[in-house]
Amino acid sequence: MLKLIQNEWMKLWHQKSTWVMLIILIVVIIGFGGLNKYYSNTDDRDWRTVVEEELKMDKESLAQEDIDADYASYLQDNIAIAEYRLAENIAPQKGESFASFMSFGVDLFMFVTLFTVIIAASIVSSEYSTGTIKMLLTRPVSRAKILTSKLLTSFLYGFFLIAVSLAMTAIVGLVLFGQESGVQLTMVDGIIKEVDTWGDLFEKAYLSLGNFTMSILFAFLIGSVFRSSALAIGLTMFLSFSGSLVVMLLSKYWFAKYIWLAHDLIQYQTGYFMIEGITMPFSLAILAVYAIIFLIISYWSFMKRDVTA
Amino acid sequence: MEQKPIVQLRNLTKVIRGKKLIDNLNLDLYPGQITGFLGPNGAGKTTTIRMMTGLMHPTDGEVIIEGQSLDKHYEEAISKVGVIVENPEMYKYMSGYKNLLHFARMHGNIDKTRIDEVIRQVGLEKRIHEKVSTYSLGMRQRLGLAQSLLHRPKFLILDEPTNGLDPAGIREFRTYLRKIAAEDGVSVFVSSHMLSEIELMCDRIAVIQNGKLIDIREMHSEAETVYYVEATPLAKVEEIARAMKFDFLTQDKGLELQVNKESVPRFVAALVAEGVEIFAVQPHQKTLEDQFLEMTGGGQIAEAHTK
Repeated sequence: MLKLIQNEWMKLWHQKSTWVMLIILIVVIIGFGGLNKYYSNTDDRDWRTVVEEELKMDKESLAQEDIDADYASYLQDNIAIAEYRLAENIAPQKGESFASFMSFGVDLFMFVTLFTVIIAASIVSSEYSTGTIKMLLTRPVSRAKILTSKLLTSFLYGFFLIAVSLAMTAIVGLVLFGQESGVQLTMVDGIIKEVDTWGDLFEKAYLSLGNFTMSILFAFLIGSVFRSSALAIGLTMFLSFSGSLVVMLLSKYWFAKYIWLAHDLIQYQTGYFMIEGITMPFSLAILAVYAIIFLIISYWSFMKRDVTA
Repeated sequence: MEQKPIVQLRNLTKVIRGKKLIDNLNLDLYPGQITGFLGPNGAGKTTTIRMMTGLMHPTDGEVIIEGQSLDKHYEEAISKVGVIVENPEMYKYMSGYKNLLHFARMHGNIDKTRIDEVIRQVGLEKRIHEKVSTYSLGMRQRLGLAQSLLHRPKFLILDEPTNGLDPAGIREFRTYLRKIAAEDGVSVFVSSHMLSEIELMCDRIAVIQNGKLIDIREMHSEAETVYYVEATPLAKVEEIARAMKFDFLTQDKGLELQVNKESVPRFVAALVAEGVEIFAVQPHQKTLEDQFLEMTGGGQIAEAHTK
């Protein structure tokens, strides 16, 4: 199996598109970092002056008559936090910091997912379109092993890109913004708390893996069943963009919560749910069931099919 | 043939959407023998070869390689087979060497020395580290042959192997196949449209039409011969031939007689005795092409596909 993965890895890196995607990722990170640095807040007044100014503005806004309740409570929270800062002498974050740049690195998981979907969609179908599938399947290796090596290679590429984007954002972040970082404060149930930036980041990162895994499995399924990478990429992208819309349209029906698209795990961090009343274990169970279904169909069709390409 | 067959096709049948593409095919292939596989377009050659290589699953019957069913013991059975199906499609974006390395890894127990050896055998040493996309068709064929030989197969299946080779290449290829068949006892199964090629290369031929095997014959058995006799008056010649109970075909200016060599002088003497004027008596050996067209009835496209 190791040799098969080695083979797939070798083929992967002999294709230009693989390198192009990696380079785009790196360029985006460096470019975004540079942009942020260049246009960053050059306000070098004492942070107290700035906070006091903002506090004054918020109070003026609040004093106006026709503001709605949500905005008012948002302003009240802001005012409370600002007063707390001044009283306790806690500096706010100044422009971009290492931590906020790392959060950009985690946002890049969406890019990484897209790139990995492209690989997963074409890793099987390209063998058909070039006719090399005949060479591949007339070897003393079962079809199941070949498909497994391709699936694992897709994930390997995905994790490699994740590692690259995290490492690159860390390097660029450290070089451009240094390690010093202010403290973000937030209001939870009337109590002011420090934001656990790194904890949030970590949570966001592993919750993103839900969408990452499902997108890859779906692209792999369509790519290997229909042997068309265009269809697989298109359909996967379409669903990841319009998935929440589809779920919303169907949300009045009982089965809406059994659609895997309704279970993007990131909802458990943002707190905005497409469907009310779902829990983490339920979401994980639904995703697992779909993942298994996707895999069964992929393997079944790959192993049964007559190769006529 | 007292040897044990290395490959056996047993009642091989393939039905796709109600059409019987391959109908109850039985064929044995022996070590050291080169068997040609002939048939008009659409007769089922490629389908048969795909079933022999595990690319297609038979609807019924089985392929047995050294006593093992390809379906049930796929990995072990296929490891004895080297395959070139149609054009050898390689990974064009990699070098020839990396392609060979790729396939070698899938077999296990093939080391770098073996890869180099095969490269030498097919004469690709100079260009092996260049990308396959820069290769000519002939070079790709050589690379295709190289990948099929890597694991020293006991059975080699080739579909249209000389397509794209130059005359010198074809000759070299033929010599090479003969050599591995004779020296290593490899059984070779070649499908081709190039009848003259098959004629030069094969020990025997199997002919398929409409999914059925219609003939298997040894190539070097006594070639069928006819004699063409041009003489006048033609009616008299016919009369004599009929009287002597020969099979014949009347043509424009003469007769085509199906007789053995020994009967010829007798026939000529009879003609002379009857005062017939003889202009020519020519032996005419049937080529494989003649035989093939005769067997397959002009080689029209298989009926199963047009219905």
